[in-house]
Amino acid sequence: MTVFCLNSWSRFPGIALLMGVFLLFALPAAAELRIDITKGTVEPLPIAITDFVDTSANNQEFGKSIARVISDDLERSGLFKPLDPRAFIQSGSAIGAKPRFGDWRVINAQALVQGRTEIVPDGRLRVEFRLWDVFAEQQMVGLAYFTVPNNWRRVAHIVADSIYKRITGESGYFDTRIVYIAERGPQNNRIKRLAIMDQDGENHRFLTDGGALVLTPRFSPTLQEITYLSYYGDLPRVYIFNIDTGRQEILGDFPGMTFAPRFSPDGDSVIMSMAKNGNSEVYTMNLKTRVVKRLTNHSGIDTSPSFAPDGRRITFNSDRGGSQQIYVMDADGRNVKRISYGKGRYATPVWSPRGDLIAFTKFTGGRFYIGVMRPDGTGERLLAEDFLVEAPTWAPNGRVLMFFRQQPSKADGSGGTSRLFSIDLTGHNEREIITPLDASDPAWSPLIP
Amino acid sequence: MIYRRGFIMSLILHFSLLIVGYFGLPHLRKDVLLETPIMIEVVNVDEVSNAPAPQITEEKEKEPEEPKEAEKEPEPEKPEPQKQEEIASPPPPPPPAPAREPDPVPEPQPLPKVASVTPAPETKPKAKKKPEPKPEPKPEPKIEPKPEEVKKEEPKPEEVKKEEPQQKPPEKEPEAKPKAPEALAKAKPKRKPKPPDAFDSVLKTVEELKKSQPRVQDEPDEKEKEKKKKAKKAPEESFEELIAKALPKNLEKFDTSQPISISEIDLVRQQIAGCWSLPAGAKDAENMEIEIAVNMNPDGSVRDARILNKNLQSDPFLRSMAESALRAVLNSRCQPFKLPRSKFDRWNTMTLVFNPKEMFVR
Repeated sequence: MTVFCLNSWSRFPGIALLMGVFLLFALPAAAELRIDITKGTVEPLPIAITDFVDTSANNQEFGKSIARVISDDLERSGLFKPLDPRAFIQSGSAIGAKPRFGDWRVINAQALVQGRTEIVPDGRLRVEFRLWDVFAEQQMVGLAYFTVPNNWRRVAHIVADSIYKRITGESGYFDTRIVYIAERGPQNNRIKRLAIMDQDGENHRFLTDGGALVLTPRFSPTLQEITYLSYYGDLPRVYIFNIDTGRQEILGDFPGMTFAPRFSPDGDSVIMSMAKNGNSEVYTMNLKTRVVKRLTNHSGIDTSPSFAPDGRRITFNSDRGGSQQIYVMDADGRNVKRISYGKGRYATPVWSPRGDLIAFTKFTGGRFYIGVMRPDGTGERLLAEDFLVEAPTWAPNGRVLMFFRQQPSKADGSGGTSRLFSIDLTGHNEREIITPLDASDPAWSPLIP
Repeated sequence: MIYRRGFIMSLILHFSLLIVGYFGLPHLRKDVLLETPIMIEVVNVDEVSNAPAPQITEEKEKEPEEPKEAEKEPEPEKPEPQKQEEIASPPPPPPPAPAREPDPVPEPQPLPKVASVTPAPETKPKAKKKPEPKPEPKPEPKIEPKPEEVKKEEPKPEEVKKEEPQQKPPEKEPEAKPKAPEALAKAKPKRKPKPPDAFDSVLKTVEELKKSQPRVQDEPDEKEKEKKKKAKKAPEESFEELIAKALPKNLEKFDTSQPISISEIDLVRQQIAGCWSLPAGAKDAENMEIEIAVNMNPDGSVRDARILNKNLQSDPFLRSMAESALRAVLNSRCQPFKLPRSKFDRWNTMTLVFNPKEMFVR
């Protein structure tokens, strides 16, 4: 066909030429204007969150409290700017009907959240919400949840998560918990207890009584369990703590000191270090079969192992090259490769749940830093800096880090307060997480299933 | 003697050497002052600059702003009652809105009931919503001032106000120009007497609005019309003429068939970038490219816009990025786009390509 056409055109060169000329004229007219926008702002999205309306009267506080929790969650993420409800022109009571978008545009709300709560006949609480795109004038998401009334706070977090997910494209992290080490007392005789709380600091409780020193708690991906290091009986060992039952269990009976434990992504095994004869190596232990496997074999100190989310690779910390640096290896211990080459010492590498970055603590020039780099060692960025910042832990969406910051203590042992902070991957939006006592070694849970 | 002299000389010389050594050589030149550098944003300029066009339009656009201020003060006195009528009058338009409302309103029932905590399937509400946006933005592309009304269905005081300035420029920008300052001066002291020229455009649009909707209160209208006629005729026509004469000369210098120059595009680019707040820290954001097709109004405001990208449903990151871009385009705070009106046929439809790559340069 094409050949035929070509032939025919060659037979009538005049027509072809004419067509060409027409084309020449036609093209510029048809060329559509294209404008490339290659940058924007990272200002938080203005969002209006109306008080949830209570349809079954006499428990008004649910609607207000839920809206407040959602608003606080979104605000703390740094990606949203909840607008002052006093500026609202339309009240939240009109849910069920389409909002008057013009009223919301006037106060520059780009998204709008409306909802209602109701105690259904069987005594459960029903929470329904809708998220509207004010400019596109359409509903982005609308969901309803049932729960026991005193679980309203969790429902609020879940609603905040789905708003976050719908607008950022990334799963949220509000329906999560933090386990950490609560500290009290003078530096030379510190009482350290395992404590757990919601991501926003609510529902705080202690898990251990402080009788034994505890360190480095880590969540299991299946959530009911925490692995940590305890000096119970003055013997540092890795333990597993079941949150539901409160049971503690020593993990294996090793000849040496075990420390720096962490669960594998599937929750089936624990990876940790064991020190023997002044040398520490990385081991895994299968929790079902109790089979122990040694992964590293080097005269240097190998510690702080952390799995990649796909479970195929492991990042760890070693001084085999002369100073403390970050290394990556396959899950079977092969292909060991150093990835950190900057100035100073690197420690506590943690692989992001998103897989794209490794967070670390860095010590250089007498100061500590929290930073991230890609698994191949490129793109190093430092996010936080202080006299002592340490122990980064990832939010389940791999976008926010939490760590602790300690102030220098005075000669008499006073001062030296330590607190938990969260920071966005961009290095902005640092927030303190309020805890009743001093806090260190935070570990972020996965999203509660 | 001679020795002593030599000794003294050497003493003096040594001493002076010491002084020089201590204080350093005297500065004969003044120190170069370190001035703070002047920041200049470099804007790409097209090879063929089509400059005169934007200048004219800019003047045009600026002028209406001045009169605006003039308008605002007198407004409370006279046009005020009319304003409110306008606000009241739009209710006729609403019918379309309610008409649309019923269908999208996803009554609570569709909400899938969910056992305990599992999120309900999102699909239902969405499916209902989808069709909605498409029907509305259809209107044919080449109507001039009308589309604004099409776009703004809801009767809002704000929007009504907006329409006035928007309509004004196309009709009578020039006339207001030279008068504006005078108008201000007059308007303040005299207040009631004759509405100066600056209001004319406002009053006219008001009149037109009224005419279009036969109303009961014709009295004030007529009075004002008379007043206006008195006020208008003598000065205004002469100005119109003047400007009519002046304009063509300027217009001759630029060629409307020329493409939009890059400098003009850069201006728009910056305008939109200012309203684009994209999800920070999104994974692979630098590799995303969002295309948005935009239909424009002649006044530089956006008539409608839609996302051209496909597979939005399968990629939540892409979808949120695309939606953030759409919000940037629809945000009236970054409009009207500063594009030369004379080249409207070039930009009445365009494609905006969003890619945050510049934000990831390290």
